[in-house]
Amino acid sequence: MDPVLAEIYSTVLDAAPFVIGAYALIWVVLLVYVLIIITGLKKTEKQMALLEELVASKK
Amino acid sequence: MMQAPVATPSGFSQFKTLLGKDLRLEIRSKQMLTSMGIYALLVLIVYGAALAQTAWGFNILQMAGGLLWVLVVFTSLLGLNRSFAHEKEFAALDGILLVPLDPGVVFLAKAASNVIFLLLVQLIAVPLFAFFFLASTAPAATAPFIVLPLLVGTLGIAGIGTLLSTITLHTRGKDVLLAVLFIPLVFPLLYACVSATSMALLGVDDFGDYWRSLAMAGGYDVVMILLSWVLYGFVLDA
Amino acid sequence: MTQDTHSRALANRLAPVALVLGIVLTTVAFLLSFLVAPLVLGANVAQTAIIGGEAISNKLLLSQKIFYIHVPVATVSFGALAFLAYYSIRYLATKNQARKPFFDTRARIAAEVGLVFIIMTMLSGDLWTRFEWGVWWVWEPRLTTYLILMLLMIAYFILRTAIDAPERKATFAAVFGLIACVDAGISYLITRFVPTSIHPVIFRTDSGLSPSMLVPFLLALFGMALICFALYRLRLRQVELNQRLESLKLQLEEN
Repeated sequence: MDPVLAEIYSTVLDAAPFVIGAYALIWVVLLVYVLIIITGLKKTEKQMALLEELVASKK
Repeated sequence: MMQAPVATPSGFSQFKTLLGKDLRLEIRSKQMLTSMGIYALLVLIVYGAALAQTAWGFNILQMAGGLLWVLVVFTSLLGLNRSFAHEKEFAALDGILLVPLDPGVVFLAKAASNVIFLLLVQLIAVPLFAFFFLASTAPAATAPFIVLPLLVGTLGIAGIGTLLSTITLHTRGKDVLLAVLFIPLVFPLLYACVSATSMALLGVDDFGDYWRSLAMAGGYDVVMILLSWVLYGFVLDA
Repeated sequence: MTQDTHSRALANRLAPVALVLGIVLTTVAFLLSFLVAPLVLGANVAQTAIIGGEAISNKLLLSQKIFYIHVPVATVSFGALAFLAYYSIRYLATKNQARKPFFDTRARIAAEVGLVFIIMTMLSGDLWTRFEWGVWWVWEPRLTTYLILMLLMIAYFILRTAIDAPERKATFAAVFGLIACVDAGISYLITRFVPTSIHPVIFRTDSGLSPSMLVPFLLALFGMALICFALYRLRLRQVELNQRLESLKLQLEEN
């Protein structure tokens, strides 16, 4: 490869893991937050089932 | 028909009464000043051990401003944690709330007593710090100017600290919680004060930089004290 | 309350649309920023080379691509904090006791979403710092402010968990949330304008963005804002459902 071109592109390959890492981490954090919300939703559903049982037993 | 004159004491006399109560209690028990003073001395001793290996080839003057402020922040934290200890012990805050006091006045009185105690402790701790660590150094001629950042910093610490110690009064694990809330909030003030203190100790060509740092610290004080003063009523009511 | 239920229904209908649109926009922005936007110029090199018909005599930087997502995420995190401040003020200002939990829940969720976006900003920014400046951490104004902001938001939640009485918890949280938002602003000003001995490299990202760079940036900004809104609504819906359930349970136990 042309040495001038090699110098011009010298940081690109080194930077790639960091760029990929940054984008990946952002989506991982978002995903984790969505999972937290879903876990909360599941808990609420469980509570709902308990409540239904409670109502049924009172009747 | 004439209305019956309601004897509401003026804001200033309320302030004087509350502040006088805190000061009288402290003069009698000397609890807060002794505990803060001893704590400051202990921090200095820890510094002694921490810096014991660096005596040569190390200009302590460059770090002195920072070290001084570490001392101030941690000693203040101890003092702020104790600033409502008496009220809590005797449930006196409820008593204060039964009297129709202006919450702003309660805030100002407590902040003023905190400022007085913090300044008294610094009056001992700062010369001790100089005695232990700066004896062999040659501070710049502008060194006396460290008084101003100490004053401005103490005002801000007492202002925001009074609000936060009232908040943490009724929480679980209140000592740690006060530190968790206090240190990030006071960070900008600390940053500006360390800058001004260091410049005064080291001497700078352009002393305008010193005033700039001091002005930033002053700006923090104004905003935060105003905000704390306005919000104090909500905190007392809750 | 009828106005609340009406706007709530509208927001709940909009949330999934916002989520889909947000994902589409950020994806398009991602593709545009890598495929269309040119690489920015870095340090000069000794000679000039012709690349794609243009004379280039600088190093081309790939690391700047991080900014196409980093800056939008950071901007959106400020937006979330603005909502925290807004709902905290509304909470403190309202005299209507029945409305108070409404604002408190919203302030809390805004703080939560804000914290998520602050963490994303910290992570992506730190990877850029590590590559360009060669260190994992430097006490630079933006980094310092974000660290303080993150600690303040964590402190906000620690404060909430440390108090049992619901009303006191909400009031103290509103007071602290409001102060924290003001403090973050001051923190940025002070760390930026107070002179220090450190002179970090100030990066220039806003100096003349060409359209091919501006478009992906703006798309990512709107996309992230929409995603933020959708997550906020989703979380809010779940939390409010839980609250309704809890109060129902209490009513049932009383009977």
